[in-house]
Amino acid sequence: MFDAFIQGLLMVLQWKAFLYLVIGAFIGFWVGILPGIGGGATLALMMPFIYKMTPVEGFSFLLGMHSVVQTTGDITSILFGVPGEPTTVAIILDGHAMAKKGEAGRALGAALMSALLGALIGASFLALAIPVVRPLVLSFGSPEMFMVIMLGLTCISSLSGRGKGGLLLGLISASLGLALSLVGQDRQAGILRFTFGQLYLWNGLALIPIAVGFFAIPEIVELFVQGTAIAGDLPPGHIGKGVMEGIKDTFRHFFLMVRCSLLGVFIGIMPGLGGAVAQWVSYAHATQSAKTEEERAGFGKGDVRGVIGPASANSKEAAGLLPTVGFGIPASTGTAILLGAFFLLGIVPGPDMLGKYLPVTFSLVWTIIIANILVVAASLLFINRLAKMTEIRGNIIIPFILLLTFIGGYTANNHIGDLIVTLASGGLGYLMVRFGFPRPPFILGFILGHLAETYFYISTTRYGMDWIYRPKVIVIFLLALAVAFYPAFQKRKMARSARKEVPA
Amino acid sequence: MRLNGKAWMCLALMAVSIGIILSALGWPFKAALFPMITGIPLFILSTLQFIITGFQKKSHDKDSVVDFQLSGLEDKSLERKKTITIFSWIGGFFVLVILIGFPIAVPLFVFCYMKFRGKEKWITSLLFTAGAWGAFYGLFVKFCDIPFMEGWIQQGLRALRIL
Repeated sequence: MFDAFIQGLLMVLQWKAFLYLVIGAFIGFWVGILPGIGGGATLALMMPFIYKMTPVEGFSFLLGMHSVVQTTGDITSILFGVPGEPTTVAIILDGHAMAKKGEAGRALGAALMSALLGALIGASFLALAIPVVRPLVLSFGSPEMFMVIMLGLTCISSLSGRGKGGLLLGLISASLGLALSLVGQDRQAGILRFTFGQLYLWNGLALIPIAVGFFAIPEIVELFVQGTAIAGDLPPGHIGKGVMEGIKDTFRHFFLMVRCSLLGVFIGIMPGLGGAVAQWVSYAHATQSAKTEEERAGFGKGDVRGVIGPASANSKEAAGLLPTVGFGIPASTGTAILLGAFFLLGIVPGPDMLGKYLPVTFSLVWTIIIANILVVAASLLFINRLAKMTEIRGNIIIPFILLLTFIGGYTANNHIGDLIVTLASGGLGYLMVRFGFPRPPFILGFILGHLAETYFYISTTRYGMDWIYRPKVIVIFLLALAVAFYPAFQKRKMARSARKEVPA
Repeated sequence: MRLNGKAWMCLALMAVSIGIILSALGWPFKAALFPMITGIPLFILSTLQFIITGFQKKSHDKDSVVDFQLSGLEDKSLERKKTITIFSWIGGFFVLVILIGFPIAVPLFVFCYMKFRGKEKWITSLLFTAGAWGAFYGLFVKFCDIPFMEGWIQQGLRALRIL
């Protein structure tokens, strides 16, 4: 086993494979930064280039690119409030808020270091867990998967709202997100739902225009109304200085980073749940780490833990390879395309990857590690310049952000409908922000809607209503209840301890 | 009972959920199952929120969510005016894209915004316009090969065989 591990490293360090890795990481760097150019789409575009490569060269190139996309996607999300990737939306909430407070450098430092450590944890997990995780993944059927989705939604609904009505507002947002995912041709009966006679809507609403408009347009409005740069009117030179502080923050909240990375790993190995979910669940967990009501009130306004949590979920990229490599079940769009690359390169995922091709499997682990180290090092070199972008006057930056928003939205289907959806979701996002509805549960509900419907339908047709009595379903349901009422319990506990502290 | 923005939004959500439920009633079980599962809770929850908001004495909007919040301005009428202005610019860009297509709308919008809204100098406006167009054309058109649609005007001219 150890021999194969070292052999994997030596394979990646061969000059040709290493060169492909560097090229892949370079492309991934820019793909992550630019909104609208998705990691999955770029992987597909790059597939034809691997025909003449050896398996290790091909994977160094593709995986080198794929594994860094989220790392740099966080940069755009933090600086401009426009998600660099659909999977880097959650980091906007506190990351962009920090940028607006003049702490872009600190946010970027924390995000990059957490993303790097998250990727390392994910890669280590991939190396160690292949033989262990197989029974866990295979023991989760449709009812359990449906309940995991409900758990995720309850978690984010409960934690994104504060005060007495917080959970209610969160659940309304989540239900609205689920409702929006109903648009399009129903997968079970082929019925057209809410398509209003528009061919564009047959395939449902794409995530990219929804996410881009939903998060970017309210930020553009705010920037315009305030009439300042992203970082407000802070004195120049202050912004990039917190990079080291951000890196230190990651180590100050080391266990939060580890926990969020493990959450990313867990969600990463669950087929179909995808990267965005990992970021949101990690964000929700980060907000849960607040010990007092005041601390919790700081989330969404620029708490560094709201950056560390989602960035650490980068571990899911490596973990997502586990079901792909081990069982041939892709965990996300990106890994589905990578699965295609396996076949192109003449490798069949499955038991062979743990025997005959074990060094190749370990070369994947090393590729993820090396690519992330390279990209984070390069980003840290330029971080001050990147952070300075938040000092650019609003008059100059607004047309560029708007341009990225429109093009980002348009690239989903290259259709005018994408622009309409971007604008409509921008309007909805603005109204939700204005009237105090939390946006995170909405977007998570939208992302998970299709999956939830499929799992719910399969569970009901296969087991009737008996699926709700399955032990794992009951356990997850109880967990969801605990998550829903945890903030209220926590508040009561804090009030009681505060009362004890007051002398009689 | 007071009808503020949040209450109106709840009313809209109630209407949406009723629409979902009524539509689902006409579909076969397979297609209607999940819309019902989604629509009914949405209706109940938004009704509950509507009642709570309507009878609440004080608004708790600002401190009830973990999300980005609009900072607003002291002068509410100025804030409203500015909000309408930026939405008009966003809408204007959309109309430009539809009418003349991305390749022309991008430089035109960037220039107009910077020169007329931002009151930037001619040279600054022209430089940034060229930069925006170069980035758009080089990256998205040439490198990524994204097929940007033609504007309605070009399509019309082509139909009339003028272009």
